[in-house]
Amino acid sequence: MLDVAKQAVEAAMAAGADYADGRIVAEDTESLTVRNQEMEGIDRATSEGLGIRVLVNGYWGFAATARREPEEIDRAARLAVEIATAASRLPMKPVRLAEVEPATGTWHSPMQEDPFNVPLEEKVSLLMEATRRMQSVQGLAFAEGGIDLFRRRTVLATSEGTAIDQTTVQSGAGIEATATAEGELQRRSFPNSFRGHISAAGWEHIQRLGLIEEAERTATEAVELLSAKDCPSEVTTLVIDSGQVELQIHESIGHPVELDRVLGMEEAYAGSSFVKPDDRGKLRYASPLVSITADATLSGGLGSFGWDDEGVPAQRMPIIEDGVFQNFISSRETASVLGLPSSGAMRADGWAHYPLIRMTNISIEPREGSLADILGDTKDGVFMSTNTSWSIDDHRVNFQFGCEIAWRIKDGKLTEMYRNPNYTGITTEFWGSCDAVGGREEWTVWGTPNCGKGQPGQVARVGHGASPARFRNVQLGVRG
Amino acid sequence: MPGMIGPDEARRVADAALSLPDADGVEVLFMHEWGGLTRFASSSIHQSTHREDTGVSVRVIKENRIGVASTNDFTIEGARRAADHALEMANVVAPDALFPGLAPQAEVPGVDLYDEATASATPAFRADGVADLVAQCPEGFTAAGAFETIASEVAVANTEGQFCWSPSTMASINTVVSGGEGGHGFAEVFESATSDVDPVAIGKRAASKAVDSQSPRDIEAGRYPVVLEPAAVSTLVGFLAWIGFGGRSLAEGRSCFSGKEGQRVAAGDVSIYDDARARGTLGLPFDFEGVPRSRVDLIKDGTFLGGVYDLRTAKQAGVRTTGHALPPPNPEGPFPLNLFMEPGEASVEEMIARTERGLLVTRFHYTNVVHPIESTITGMTRDGTFLIENGEIAHPVKNLRFTQSIVEALTRTEMIGRDTELASEFFFSASRVPALKVASFNFSGRSDH
Repeated sequence: MLDVAKQAVEAAMAAGADYADGRIVAEDTESLTVRNQEMEGIDRATSEGLGIRVLVNGYWGFAATARREPEEIDRAARLAVEIATAASRLPMKPVRLAEVEPATGTWHSPMQEDPFNVPLEEKVSLLMEATRRMQSVQGLAFAEGGIDLFRRRTVLATSEGTAIDQTTVQSGAGIEATATAEGELQRRSFPNSFRGHISAAGWEHIQRLGLIEEAERTATEAVELLSAKDCPSEVTTLVIDSGQVELQIHESIGHPVELDRVLGMEEAYAGSSFVKPDDRGKLRYASPLVSITADATLSGGLGSFGWDDEGVPAQRMPIIEDGVFQNFISSRETASVLGLPSSGAMRADGWAHYPLIRMTNISIEPREGSLADILGDTKDGVFMSTNTSWSIDDHRVNFQFGCEIAWRIKDGKLTEMYRNPNYTGITTEFWGSCDAVGGREEWTVWGTPNCGKGQPGQVARVGHGASPARFRNVQLGVRG
Repeated sequence: MPGMIGPDEARRVADAALSLPDADGVEVLFMHEWGGLTRFASSSIHQSTHREDTGVSVRVIKENRIGVASTNDFTIEGARRAADHALEMANVVAPDALFPGLAPQAEVPGVDLYDEATASATPAFRADGVADLVAQCPEGFTAAGAFETIASEVAVANTEGQFCWSPSTMASINTVVSGGEGGHGFAEVFESATSDVDPVAIGKRAASKAVDSQSPRDIEAGRYPVVLEPAAVSTLVGFLAWIGFGGRSLAEGRSCFSGKEGQRVAAGDVSIYDDARARGTLGLPFDFEGVPRSRVDLIKDGTFLGGVYDLRTAKQAGVRTTGHALPPPNPEGPFPLNLFMEPGEASVEEMIARTERGLLVTRFHYTNVVHPIESTITGMTRDGTFLIENGEIAHPVKNLRFTQSIVEALTRTEMIGRDTELASEFFFSASRVPALKVASFNFSGRSDH
């Protein structure tokens, strides 16, 4: 594979490129879905191809092909140069790249047992038993379980001498219980919503999740939610669990600090950001309890690697320190605009897509206390768990997020269950109201495998380490 | 430049999978896509790409046990390997009691959506188009967006003898023009041929909105009458595709329309249908299991008539398939992909003139579901929101969050536009819809820009 990547780079340079990188990606996926003890879907997919990116006189071009013949590789390289040349139709300041040392080497995500080698029967059996246990709960309509496996091997060669070979294997699973009644539908998921908990790990990760053990509780809560009261509409104290803090970080911190978004490069699609280049070291983003880190070296994170898709080494970097904004996540091009080194966040969705600045693992630093401690310290408020819905404006300011379930907190104890809970806020006001962040014992590295960005649209797999947290004076219960 | 592979070659490779021994049935879904996208921001071309990919997806049935395997290796060997993998998976699962069989042989009327000039559009051609668009920006304003020209061919073949193949092309431009004192304006177009796409017109429309939306003022959240332009209406209609019209969710009580067949769910002049073969959409004439697509009247004169089905959900519901299968495996069931809302008789200007105090909304952004059974969704306005007072545009306003039941909005629709546009929604496929005037729309929050 490296030879083909190098051939592409050489062909691009011969066609007139000033810089070229060739990235060959081979992907395998396997997905199983069981519902009410019936197989809903079992499929495997493979995909392999080459993406060639070039700079010609400071303009980018990119061409991708699944064809493997040598003449096709050369043709794609020439096409990339043609595309870059056409881009000069609209003059702009030439792209400059922040320096990086050429890298050589290999990297593999940590894994004990290759999930692709686990017999299908074992995977099916796990989901069948989990759904059987959920269905034992009276009143449940649908019991669903899913397993998703992902393997991506990326070989990158650049005209500067980088030659790297990396493989990530990711495993995820989850269960979902749905209860229905006249005019109402309630859902509970475990260990997280939208296909569960996915980690850069092997089959051992899925075995540790406890899907069978948690099946009945999950189903019972779904049924109980049908007769629960709607979450009241009020301004109060909100405690959110680790999985919801993950989503909160993703939408209201991870995306706004992508430097391409800040520089207007995503304006037409997902928008820009309220954060400005001059905000580094100055913007009060959150309360002093909140520190956020971007860490591509985090074990088990979906956003971990050895080098990004420009060959920049994985690194750990503060994004917010004690509430003050510090750094963007960046690429060689965007970092150069600010006179900084790249933070190594360029990642493409497979071979067919152009790399974009993507979150790596954006995490909140744990502080202290368990979830029970935080709840016990709360006189009055609401505790919400497990995301169902997310919406935020095009500058990442106004958001509204929904969860599956909530409980009233009264004098440190969970009392009444609420259904259809949601909350809304303004990003910096919300994070500014954070007055408790759970400790290491509650900290989980969650995976978000479906982060969308770019035109044409592409999906990134990113991670977030999160503990439960508490926020004051939050508007809950938004209704239509 | 790559080009069409064609039905003969598609059939040749598919046959390698169809001839799999030890299977009761095999279905092959073939997809080939090639084309380029020229992306621009700050009036410069900053990301310009081209891609070509093929997909061969094989569904194998053995004693009603089903496995699916896919590859992008479009060769005899690749198809055979995918078939073997699919059989391997079918062998370990339990039979599907509801498996309805593969699609029978059937004629599929063609659609004329392939344009060679679009399929072979060059980077230079797109760059010129972007330059023409950018030239419409007044001083102090810049444009961002994408000009895409893409070709595709889809084929389905199965061991029942069905074979269908359809090529198509799409040319699309979307842009946001921004600048001045916080002005933002949006415009887009989708057509099957580049000759029908006018970058100058798109640039002018977005630029005009951007100029008009400068210095947006604060406005209180609350309920307002609204005039929704087609891009905003496509959000309402697109989300109904997901939470309302799918046959599986209807049959299982998970749809906002479950149990409402024959009931009024919208104002009397609201009609929504799905028709992949109609003029005005970019549709595939058959679904992803090879069944010819039918027109389906979903809401007629305000009354909900029914949803869309594939073979399996049709069997589940005791109805006929409407030809809306998605690629297998598909636990979610069928969805409409080519929605239309019937136009009315009003112009947007007339809608504005009949509004005493309300809002004109260009489009919505990042919408998501709050309550699927109540059809309540939430999202933000974006790229041109204006206060209407006494029948005239008063001034632009800052963006608002809405939290609104789609069904309630359609029930309170007072006027329907006479012109339609093929308009996209952030998460779903484009719908052809008119503008609407809705008597009351709930804006639950606001932003700072």
